[in-house]
Amino acid sequence: METRSGVSEEEEQMLREVSGLGHDITESLNVEMLRENANLNGESFSGKIGKFGSEYAKWYARYYIVPEKLMTAVDHNDLYVHDLDQYAVGSTNCIFIPFDKLLARGFSTGSGSVRTPQSISTAMALVAIIFQCQQNSQYGGVSGSKLDHDLAPYIAKSFAKHFHKGVLYFDENLPLEEHNITLGSLTLCNSHPRSYSFAVQETKIECLQAAESLIHNLNTMSSRAGGQIPFTSINYGTCTSLEGQMIIDSLLSATMNGLGSGETPVFPIQIFKCKRGVNQSPEDPNYDLFLKAVECSTKRLYPNFANLDAPFNLQYYDPTDPNTEFATMGCRTRVLADRHGRNRLSGKGNLSFNTINLVKLGIKHGIVNGRTVPHEVDFQRDLYHFLDIALNGLLHRYKIQARQPAKASDFMMREGVWEGGELLDSDESVEECLKHGSLSIGFIGLAECMKAMYGKHHAESEEVYATALELISSMRRYCDMKSEEHDLNITLMATPAEGLSGKFTKKDREVFGSIPGVTDREYYTNSFHVPVYYNLPAARKISLEAPFHELCNAGAISYIELDGNVRSNQTAFLKIVQYALSQNISYFSINHPIDRCGSCHYEGIIGDTCPICGTKETDVPMYRLRRVTGYLTGDYQTRFNAAKQAEVRDRVKHR
Amino acid sequence: MNICGYYPESINEGDDLRAVIFLSGCRHRCSGCFNPATWNFNYGEPFTEQRQQEIITEMANNQLLGGMTLAGGDPFFSADEAADFIDNVRAAIPNFSVWIYTGYIYEDLIVSVDSAEYRLLMKCQVVIDGPFIESLKNTSLPYRGSSNQRIIDIQSSIRYNDAVELTT
Ligand code: SF4
Repeated sequence: METRSGVSEEEEQMLREVSGLGHDITESLNVEMLRENANLNGESFSGKIGKFGSEYAKWYARYYIVPEKLMTAVDHNDLYVHDLDQYAVGSTNCIFIPFDKLLARGFSTGSGSVRTPQSISTAMALVAIIFQCQQNSQYGGVSGSKLDHDLAPYIAKSFAKHFHKGVLYFDENLPLEEHNITLGSLTLCNSHPRSYSFAVQETKIECLQAAESLIHNLNTMSSRAGGQIPFTSINYGTCTSLEGQMIIDSLLSATMNGLGSGETPVFPIQIFKCKRGVNQSPEDPNYDLFLKAVECSTKRLYPNFANLDAPFNLQYYDPTDPNTEFATMGCRTRVLADRHGRNRLSGKGNLSFNTINLVKLGIKHGIVNGRTVPHEVDFQRDLYHFLDIALNGLLHRYKIQARQPAKASDFMMREGVWEGGELLDSDESVEECLKHGSLSIGFIGLAECMKAMYGKHHAESEEVYATALELISSMRRYCDMKSEEHDLNITLMATPAEGLSGKFTKKDREVFGSIPGVTDREYYTNSFHVPVYYNLPAARKISLEAPFHELCNAGAISYIELDGNVRSNQTAFLKIVQYALSQNISYFSINHPIDRCGSCHYEGIIGDTCPICGTKETDVPMYRLRRVTGYLTGDYQTRFNAAKQAEVRDRVKHR
Repeated sequence: MNICGYYPESINEGDDLRAVIFLSGCRHRCSGCFNPATWNFNYGEPFTEQRQQEIITEMANNQLLGGMTLAGGDPFFSADEAADFIDNVRAAIPNFSVWIYTGYIYEDLIVSVDSAEYRLLMKCQVVIDGPFIESLKNTSLPYRGSSNQRIIDIQSSIRYNDAVELTT
């Protein structure tokens, strides 16, 4: 229908929408939109500029790019397209960076070239720069899968440098062979004792300072649009050389020391890689570093723990190649396997993911609507219908991503951060490289889905549990089958869903009303997790969630909530971590409260009064650090969106 | 004997993951006591054999537990019954470590080796002793409310004939 001005009604509606977007942003009217991402200050100028770009990009994708079926499913709350704002331009999600390669060869940032570092301090400074360059080539996380192995050679260089200095200072001018100048050389220690111990000391000091400045850098470079810090993760723990051990030790010490006024660093997310024979028993070479990681985690919530011994990770493990060790993007993304042969980590990543709202399917077909029996057949049919739509969306997006020229993700391709990119001409398409990445289908709210279908969630009944496990297995089989069919890595993701957990729920509640145990909270339970408000022993939660880790080959994490001061009870912490590993949980972490006094900066558990300086919360703000979906944020009361604030309140703690 | 609280898992009342059982009744009457209601021996519910068995089964089935903690009130005012309960627990879970809280100080509890208090103490590994003293309140200390309270390794203390504190 034409209106008087000659503009169709549809066009007018679009115009209203697009101008409304701008108004909401400039006036900070839509707080939920502005707080969608806890690490982005959406109320700042740069945050708003970023929002203008991303909200319009979403709007454009919706009307001109995304397949209609997919968009309809999104509008009907059946599916979610993650990072829709990035869809039209064809950028990709996340990557594991081959730091070893980039550092050894040197690299170009685009505006300048960088030589191979000659010391650990320079190497760690360059790690931050590489992270920063890379994050502009994509939209999700950037991770180092083996930072200890990658950086070990630069400890050796620093040691040699300090040793030569020592020889001059102490006049220990005895003959020596250049190749003997290593950290572990007994001969050297005996022949040049003073220079040797001087060099060890200096290298240690240098390494710790370098680690501290790396962590400071990664918490202060607001280089992403909206003043956002890049989502960085570092994995370490398995390098058993003296050099590698020094790096692990320094990273942990630096993390425990904290930032400028001792506060807990939010980035990088740190993941300690656990491997039997390497760091899991007292006789293992890196066991003391594992204990230190536990201590650090009781103080700082990091590192989390990655399980190299879980059979589905172990099958790719080659002890001679640290690039085959399972590591993860902090948020949980796992990209180890590749049907095109790169069963290793660095140099590839996830391309994109779409998430299915399992809860709505449960409500539509379950006993919740007064039905006496759930309609399982209809549920299945619907599930496959949406799996198809989700997959077709990923494939459609993949086509856009694959046809992008290398120059669009300049640093990533030119420098071979994405393996093979360095062989491409700048106008050549990136398809051959991208096929090694993964396309993931995620899911959310298994617990509420089961509740709606059967009246109980999967932790409340053995029968329901078996059904839930079978449901997720069938989704995995679907992914495996489609991988074959399309010759692409199509994987199943236990969606973290920071911004999503509340969105699905809100819309479903508008349609179906508040259903107890289903839509009556402000969020849906993450992926396959047992609801945070459901009380059960820690061991039981772990053993219930463990089998899902193997099914979710695109990544999953399990958490245990501890209430209290774990700093003084590391025995309990260690035991829970090792129990989770023994149950083949792939990626594990323990949440516990860290409060920080706004007056004296004491960190620990704070009620309404600081136990150290006696200041009251009514006089000074107490910062309460909590974790959402893998990433830490500042004070959760000001940075989390409403749904996530509610989740934190509801968590049942294992006291 | 009454029970006025039970945490199946806790990290706040001793090293490792522990079950915590609060026994009703206390005559110390510390000023600023965290919960004066627990002074009453009739507070909470009777700790029947059935309830004991339930809790013992639950503890035995939780492979992550390192032990249990008896708190109160003050379990030493129900020393005989508390000791019997520990016997029942040990019959089902032989090497279960037991920590215990008391408003008495360790030196008072070992005065007479024939007393019920001594018998109870000897069944435990660790005692957190001493009354709560408001002026010494410090919630940043692990497992304690005020700084006069000590975490004492019972067996070593007997061996060395002096209170041996655990370092936490
Ligand atoms: S010993 Fe404990 S329960 Fe008894 S009065 Fe003192 S603080 Fe209260």
